[in-house]
Amino acid sequence: MTLVSKLFCNGMTLACITLMLTGCESKQSDSTDPVAPVSSLTGDVKIDGSSTVLPISNAIKEKFSEAYPEVNVSVAGSGTGNGFNRFSGKETDISGASRPIKPGELEACKEAGIEFIELPVAYDGLTLVIHPENDWVKQLSIEQLKKIFVGSDAVKKWSDIDPTWPEEDLKIFAPGVGSGTYDYFHEVMAKKDKAELRKDMTLNEDDNVLVQGVAGNKYSIGFFGVAYFEENKDKLQAVPIINPSDDTAYLPTQENIASGKYAPFSRPLLIYVNAASLNNAQVQTLAEYYLQNASETSEQVGYVRLPEEVIQRGIANLDAQKTGSHYVDAEGQSRSGSVADIFVEANRVE
Amino acid sequence: MSSIPLPAALQRDDHVAMEQKANRRKRMSRWFSILCVIIAFLSVVVLVVLLVSISIQGSSRLSTDLLSNAHSELHPEQAGMWPAIVGTLFVCGVCALGSLPLGIGTAVFLEEFRPRKLELRWLRHRFPDQSKTWDKLASGLYKSIRGFHSFIQLNISNLAGVPSIVYGLLGLSLFVYMFNVFGQIKVNEASGWEIAGAQHYYQVLSLESGQVVLIPQTDRTQSTLTVESPTTGVTPDGKTYEVGVWEPGSPKPTDPSVRRRTVRKGAKGGVFTDRAWYYFRLPFDRSFLAAGLTLALVILPVVIIASQEALRAVPPSMREASLGLGATTWQTTRDVCLPAAIPGIMTGAILSMGRAIGEAAPLLVIMGAAIAKSTGPQHLMDDAVTMPVLIYNWAGRQQAVYQELAAAAIIVLLIVLLLMNSVAIYLRERLSHV
Repeated sequence: MTLVSKLFCNGMTLACITLMLTGCESKQSDSTDPVAPVSSLTGDVKIDGSSTVLPISNAIKEKFSEAYPEVNVSVAGSGTGNGFNRFSGKETDISGASRPIKPGELEACKEAGIEFIELPVAYDGLTLVIHPENDWVKQLSIEQLKKIFVGSDAVKKWSDIDPTWPEEDLKIFAPGVGSGTYDYFHEVMAKKDKAELRKDMTLNEDDNVLVQGVAGNKYSIGFFGVAYFEENKDKLQAVPIINPSDDTAYLPTQENIASGKYAPFSRPLLIYVNAASLNNAQVQTLAEYYLQNASETSEQVGYVRLPEEVIQRGIANLDAQKTGSHYVDAEGQSRSGSVADIFVEANRVE
Repeated sequence: MSSIPLPAALQRDDHVAMEQKANRRKRMSRWFSILCVIIAFLSVVVLVVLLVSISIQGSSRLSTDLLSNAHSELHPEQAGMWPAIVGTLFVCGVCALGSLPLGIGTAVFLEEFRPRKLELRWLRHRFPDQSKTWDKLASGLYKSIRGFHSFIQLNISNLAGVPSIVYGLLGLSLFVYMFNVFGQIKVNEASGWEIAGAQHYYQVLSLESGQVVLIPQTDRTQSTLTVESPTTGVTPDGKTYEVGVWEPGSPKPTDPSVRRRTVRKGAKGGVFTDRAWYYFRLPFDRSFLAAGLTLALVILPVVIIASQEALRAVPPSMREASLGLGATTWQTTRDVCLPAAIPGIMTGAILSMGRAIGEAAPLLVIMGAAIAKSTGPQHLMDDAVTMPVLIYNWAGRQQAVYQELAAAAIIVLLIVLLLMNSVAIYLRERLSHV
């Protein structure tokens, strides 16, 4: 008898402690300027999608919460594909994507009766990296990269690519199959030829492991997002890639990515906004805020800003609520090319 | 008489050989004990190396900022984990409330209420029927009860080995979606069965920028409102006022207080739900409640098995003495077995809560990888950031600051775990002296 009541009493004490803890936490981080009028805008905004876009969305949320403290923005990053799954299941208002929507995902949205507004927010570049002591690779062409990465008969030694290069085994480090980066690399390198990337690469979801791997072996090569390279410049060397359209090699610098010269390895990051959600004042306000601050914020978290005119086209589309995708044509085929070329009114299919 | 030869070992009279053999055996024994010490020492060394390397890496980030701030993308040097600490405590609290009663109850059922011949006798006594078929039926029934019992036992042992991500998927359909029995939670649409704590309004932007008017919702099926004529609005504290309508083209009001109460003609408003802390809804969606209950499933088998061991360790003589004095099974369980088993049960509970606090995989499935929440959960259906998920995210970042933060967060996680355990050990000591 006493045992049970004692257990109960102790349980209650614990519960009280927990409740007290929450009491003092609720209005903690409201560090807004007391002079600025606090907005009374309130409500929920749900964001999910690419883990690559997540840092941008988190940073936007952080700034937005200072201006609109009552709005509850929840940002998750379960991946581009999972994000679109939830988006077409009407679970989220906004979906982040590190690649344009796929025809199948567009179909799912249509079936669920979801109209969306497609908005590019920033650039991410994919960097090919080698060991800093590697002095034989000066630049790589797409054909050479295909020799290295594509197919089960891909080369085993550096000398197989160019006879003047050392006769040493290649070590390859790449992001995991589930990542948008792997998807993107696969799309650029192998999709048109209906080929697959080689299977004997060291794959890892954690980009830090890739950095360590390439930095630890003179005869290694790898690829990942440009933001990671920027942080590890001292340990790695980026490879200039020959742009197929003008046969010149370009390094993945901010300027080259923004001008579209670093092709084909720069990709747009986008957000997709559910058009029905725009009736909610808080979603509308956040979406506008997102675009207005996208360039500055994405630079702060390590990405590259889009050309101003692309951002302005996005703002115009949002204002006019022009729904539909620019990346899937009327026949249901994906378009590819630079954002500035694709993200134009003529390509929009509702 | 001496026809049976003595065994060879007894015949030999070689003292030197005997001594050598004995020495060899003793040496072996000594070596073995040294090996055991080394092995035990190794595991401690691994732990110490881990702790030291983590403290070296994370010590520079151990500050009040870490304890009081939220995750920050723009100012990583000021980022903190307060929402994650609160979130973890909430999730683990739900987990303990869910798993401990269920687990201990199941253990009591399996250990103290084992089917005995007693039930068979009771069946025969209750339904006195001498026919053969009845006899067969009764013993069949009894066997199936025993079968059911051992089936549960088998399942529990198996469930203890299932990876936690599988529980995450189970929790997703069981708690997050509830098999869509209560409808789905969709943006701009239905939100399941709201049972308590919800107030619905339309939120319409007023003429003053950043300010909104709230108009109570009368029809739950109508998800947007278009304001065409003056209507009634409410303030957050429940007072009503007149919402004016401004027609584009006519002169716009200039007084801020009037502008705050005026909306443009044809302005649209979406639904805003004001939620009290006891807001309750089915299904649970991606809330901390669903996460805690999923973790409860993860540790349930561990709790059951530990409690069973503890109950089994209670000497049968105590049980028999109690029953012999005329106590019922329930009285015996309550006053004899449970008090004697409490230390063991609590130890199992401590170990399993230790597992729950560090679990990340099922939480990632249930709540997603959200980390940018600036407060703990505000209502029962709110989501939460937890420490393992935050550490997982920080450790994967490229900036060195976040790597250090991850190490510091691990130290905090260990301290929180130690604190929780010491509270539990204190409770155990008190309860075992009932």
